[in-house]
Amino acid sequence: MTTASALARLLKPVAPLSALMSIADVADRLLTPEHKAFLSLPIVDDAGKPLGLVSRSTLQDIFMQRFGRDLRGRHPVEEVMNPAPLVVSLETNLEEAAKQITAQLQYPITEDFILVDAEGLYRGLGTVLDLLKAMEARIAQRNQVLRKALVDLKESQTQLVQSEKMASLGQMVAGVAHELNTPLGYVTNNVQLLRELSAPLFELADAQAALGDCLSDPGCDEARLAEALETAAEARAKAAPELLVEDFTQLFSDTLYGLEQIAELVVGLKDFARLDRAMSEEVDLNECIRSALVIARNGIKDKAETILQLGDLPRMPCAPSQINQVLLNLLNNAAQAIEGFGQIVVKTWADESAVFISVRDTGRGMTAEVLARIFDPFFTTKPVGEGTGLGLSISYKIIQDHGGQIRAVSEPGRGTRFLIRLPRPQALPLQRSA
Amino acid sequence: MSEPIRILFVDDEERILRSLALQFRRDYQVLTESDPRRALQRLKSEPVHIIVSDQRMPQMSGAELLAQAQQIAPDTLRILLTGYSDLDAAVEALNSGGIFRYLTKPWDQQEMAFTLRQAAQIAARQLQVTSAPVVLSQDALSVLLLDEEAPTFDVVSGFCAAHGHRLLRAQSLNEAVALLNSQPVDLVVSDLQVAGEDVSPLLKSLAQAHPRLLSLVVTPFSDTQSLLKLINEAQIFRYLPKPIRRGLFEKGLQAAVEQAQLWRAQPAQVVTRLAQPPRDEHDREKVGSLMGMLGRLRERLTA
Repeated sequence: MTTASALARLLKPVAPLSALMSIADVADRLLTPEHKAFLSLPIVDDAGKPLGLVSRSTLQDIFMQRFGRDLRGRHPVEEVMNPAPLVVSLETNLEEAAKQITAQLQYPITEDFILVDAEGLYRGLGTVLDLLKAMEARIAQRNQVLRKALVDLKESQTQLVQSEKMASLGQMVAGVAHELNTPLGYVTNNVQLLRELSAPLFELADAQAALGDCLSDPGCDEARLAEALETAAEARAKAAPELLVEDFTQLFSDTLYGLEQIAELVVGLKDFARLDRAMSEEVDLNECIRSALVIARNGIKDKAETILQLGDLPRMPCAPSQINQVLLNLLNNAAQAIEGFGQIVVKTWADESAVFISVRDTGRGMTAEVLARIFDPFFTTKPVGEGTGLGLSISYKIIQDHGGQIRAVSEPGRGTRFLIRLPRPQALPLQRSA
Repeated sequence: MSEPIRILFVDDEERILRSLALQFRRDYQVLTESDPRRALQRLKSEPVHIIVSDQRMPQMSGAELLAQAQQIAPDTLRILLTGYSDLDAAVEALNSGGIFRYLTKPWDQQEMAFTLRQAAQIAARQLQVTSAPVVLSQDALSVLLLDEEAPTFDVVSGFCAAHGHRLLRAQSLNEAVALLNSQPVDLVVSDLQVAGEDVSPLLKSLAQAHPRLLSLVVTPFSDTQSLLKLINEAQIFRYLPKPIRRGLFEKGLQAAVEQAQLWRAQPAQVVTRLAQPPRDEHDREKVGSLMGMLGRLRERLTA
């Protein structure tokens, strides 16, 4: 009802004229102060149904003619009225009314419009100007609603981007946790083996110490010496230190290697887990690629062989955790695109103006239709629940924010190649020489 | 032991292989391969009693390797050792690789040694039995169904009717125990939840009380940890996710029938079923009391 009452608010209760009223009387009526605001006056029949509108401009046209008033002033107004005026029901809502009125409006605007009730009886006049004002107020209100919707949308988009990041982070953490199990497996086992294997060595050391004590003790008799010698020989045979050397060397070096692996994974996680967008001045993008590979390894290992062709790159100002996110996304996508066992080739190079990163896979590729949409938010070819469809659109945004471009070419059955171009900061040779 | 037990470890990480070899070289004849394809070659050309494989390897998955190993050397006991708790891999390794155990990295030294000792015992038992050609028994079997859902019943009853097997049905654990005590049963087909009760302790008890009885689990649940326990502690024969796929289900039933008929024709030593005692205290208690309830079944079997 609010919209219907909006139209009622425009209603001006102008007294209607009868069809037989003379043109001269109508002209006088139009000149009275209470009718000054109107372009036209309504004419209704005895039942109250609107017959037409007589406009100020029609009368002016008549009276501007020579002897116009004298010739036609006594004629009934129905002769000069517009018999098909704009009639709008008060039941109509504001938008619908505006649509009707603008559709029939003629330029210049010479008439108002008639407002009728549900039975079609005259209730009053409305002016186009008032209608425009009402519409403008309505639009302002709508704009406000839209603006709020936009703010809400932006907020939920930020949340989605965040949850995509959290999802990929969670996936990555789970992957890395599993990846840790391999080195953890042999490191744990090796340490236990070292403990077992070293026990006889301590016994040997004890036996040899006892033998040494006996030798340096003048009171040590033949029998005790013989016993000590025998114990030491037995311990030596049991421990077989010469055989252990190789085992120990191997166990220690494997264990140290395993610990390095674990440390590398943990450092990689730390680099990735940063949710900030902190910019860093001197980032080695090749290093980013290597650490993304450490993290992505568990998803790639049984899908593809990774070939790195990393060229010399200048250090770049960028947000490493964001670039890492892009690289991880591209590597995971590449691995997922591969059926059976394939190849992922990561190549980097630079020219005077930019740094390039290419990630190419020998996966199933994409059709032109799919390729055209891959950067669209929520577009995914994965089954429901498996992908958010935000990975590449976020990657696109990140590269864009870095002033770069990301493009893809693909051929079904052959594979896909993503190319990232990041512009180099303007070289400042003068500053350097100064 | 006249013939040494030969264990083949397969892992793409050489350091895992070296560590395992060092741990077990005194007890067994240890073989290692970092490439599963070479491991398969080896299975074809020399005897291997136990094969322990990693899951994620570049050339092929562990589940795939063990499935092929089962074809090449069906008597070899197959164990998966993996750092990933991956439900699909576990299901595949069980259903097509018929694995004896699913172990996780990092492994517990004692537990690993215990598992290999169990496997070695079975292997040694198998070696003692002269592998005379067996005549497969064609006897009709009894199938106990512990699942009220119509699709499961349709497949199982259809299968039994088509092959002349007897179908028994139970609607609760108590009914199942009563039936098991009074009737011979060869196969159990069960959901993990029946009438609000957890069936896994019963399956674990049956694995201990009646090693020749094969169990097939049909369930809508997909929890890797509980599947691992069912593999290791109940030694289930198949794990079939609901909604069931008829073809897969029927193939599983057929394979179970063949296995049961084979075991029937062979001496008890050859039955390669040896479940791990439940690790969880609560599970152990339940299994203990169920073992008591299954007293008559055990009496009948020992008689």
